[in-house]
Amino acid sequence: MLELLSLTPILKGLIVLALAGVTFPITGVYLFRLNLLPLRFMLMHGAILGGAMALALQINPFWTTIAVNLVLVVFMARSSRSMKIDAGQISTFFMVISISLAFIFIYKFNVPAKDTLTLLWGNLFILSWAEVIGVGSFAVFLAGFQFYFRHQLRALFFDREIAYTSGIDEGKLYYAVVFLVAITVALAMKLIGALLLDAILLLPPVIASFHARSLKGMILGSAMWGGIFSIGGFLLSIAIDIPASSSIAALASVVFIVMYLMRRK
Amino acid sequence: MEHSLIVSLNNETVFTSDQHWLHPLFELEDFLNRNSILPVELFLRDKIAGKAAACLIVFLGIRRCHIELLSERAIPVFKANGIEFTYDNLVDHIQCRTEDLITDTMSIADAYLFLRKRAGRVQGLAVKLGDVTVRIGGTLIVDQLNLELGRGEQLIVHGANGTGKTTLLRAILGLTPCEGSIRIGDFVVGGADWKKQRSSIAYVHQESMKSNFPISAGEVVQIGLGTSRMSGTETEYRVELAMRRTGCFHLFKQAYSTLSGGEKQRVSLARCLCQNAGVFLLDEPTSFLDPQGKEDLLNLLDELSRNEAPTMILVSHEQQWIEQLNWISRELKGGKLC
Repeated sequence: MLELLSLTPILKGLIVLALAGVTFPITGVYLFRLNLLPLRFMLMHGAILGGAMALALQINPFWTTIAVNLVLVVFMARSSRSMKIDAGQISTFFMVISISLAFIFIYKFNVPAKDTLTLLWGNLFILSWAEVIGVGSFAVFLAGFQFYFRHQLRALFFDREIAYTSGIDEGKLYYAVVFLVAITVALAMKLIGALLLDAILLLPPVIASFHARSLKGMILGSAMWGGIFSIGGFLLSIAIDIPASSSIAALASVVFIVMYLMRRK
Repeated sequence: MEHSLIVSLNNETVFTSDQHWLHPLFELEDFLNRNSILPVELFLRDKIAGKAAACLIVFLGIRRCHIELLSERAIPVFKANGIEFTYDNLVDHIQCRTEDLITDTMSIADAYLFLRKRAGRVQGLAVKLGDVTVRIGGTLIVDQLNLELGRGEQLIVHGANGTGKTTLLRAILGLTPCEGSIRIGDFVVGGADWKKQRSSIAYVHQESMKSNFPISAGEVVQIGLGTSRMSGTETEYRVELAMRRTGCFHLFKQAYSTLSGGEKQRVSLARCLCQNAGVFLLDEPTSFLDPQGKEDLLNLLDELSRNEAPTMILVSHEQQWIEQLNWISRELKGGKLC
């Protein structure tokens, strides 16, 4: 196994996955607390649109998916505010429009659909150093954001209107959270794919919520489980030669079942 | 006498004030609160005292005084409370509107609270609504409503479900757009400076009561501190003070979701106190309370209205409970307060 880790793509994959595993579940907590689960679907479809556009225009898919998701979030936020529709609901519209645009790009630019759909299962081992640094920087920023705004976030998650009346700029904070979720989803899709990203985004906070008594407990618990799933799953995938995303998701699912059964007892 | 008020202890001057009206006595109250001096041991010399000053002197616990110009209306107050007093000149009344406003039916505590509000020494801020109109989806909910509440005053808005009581509170908070003007103290809701001032209104509503978010009672109270940057010690002190004030400090570490309805209300009111808000808006605070919880809330609100005296607007449809609270009550009907 150690020999494999000496290979640069494998090493880069492990570094990125460890950073993502520890920090990305933070946005999973945000998704649950702000009831933004539908937004995740919009972002997943946005990432496919980004992938299709990148292949069609022959530009970097990593940065394009992030850019497309950010644009989608801006449109979603503006229309949600102006039309006074819940962000979760309006994201359904953007989900549909992005996948339709993705197929238009695929058709008009003769993009092999198979290449675009590789986003659905991600590829951890073809990251450039720039992308590794990008993911690492974002992971540090995300952790810093959570630490710096921990009190305001706690108020926002407890009750948005009470956060507003206590003087917190809950509107800006909400959209900052949505932006971070957008970037996280785009990055997680690249790393472990759309179909399995919930293993590092959502399952860690769900398991952490079984025992957490505070937001701090939720965040730390999610980070711990996310780290265990990503590093453990990665090493497991090397040990038994299966795709990393599958082993991460399988490990997370087994832990979830065990924790759930323990909780019931 | 060079000062308007001189207070001595064993012939030694311990406090002086050059302020006018009742302010020297309120300054004396602050002085007594800061220093551990027994007021019964003090001797007070005041330039002028009417009925209002007499009530304050009694409330502060002063037992002996000399007044240069004394109103006859003060004498029954002094005599009824066993105050030893002397004076240089006696007049039948002094030219002060406040003296006329202290009625014989007021207890010393009531008079003290009234004077505190009049002196602006309460937490409450004035609330003024001018021609406030709220439409939701084309339906008129609040119709050119006018309302004025002085500092530290309380109001109950009652009415059937769906009459717009909550909408009115949300409009005051700036959460629901409206026509007309809403002023809280010196600020216009939704105005240029409102963003920085909106923590002057604290809000208790029922949605937070249902929250299953993992958060302790102490952390809920800490939300009241908003974006204030302060040391950990200062934060703990402010939270503890507010929780002790509403009798819920023992719940500090307990998960909010496991508290009873009454305990949650105590925690919510502690949050409002921690926020140091001038206006408390309470939306159906009895919704999740059993009879004992309602009784406790009644006593707590009564106590708050007498001490910190924030301006409070309470929305409820529980007629029996409203009557027990004994605040001014108005019905919201057809978008107007009747």
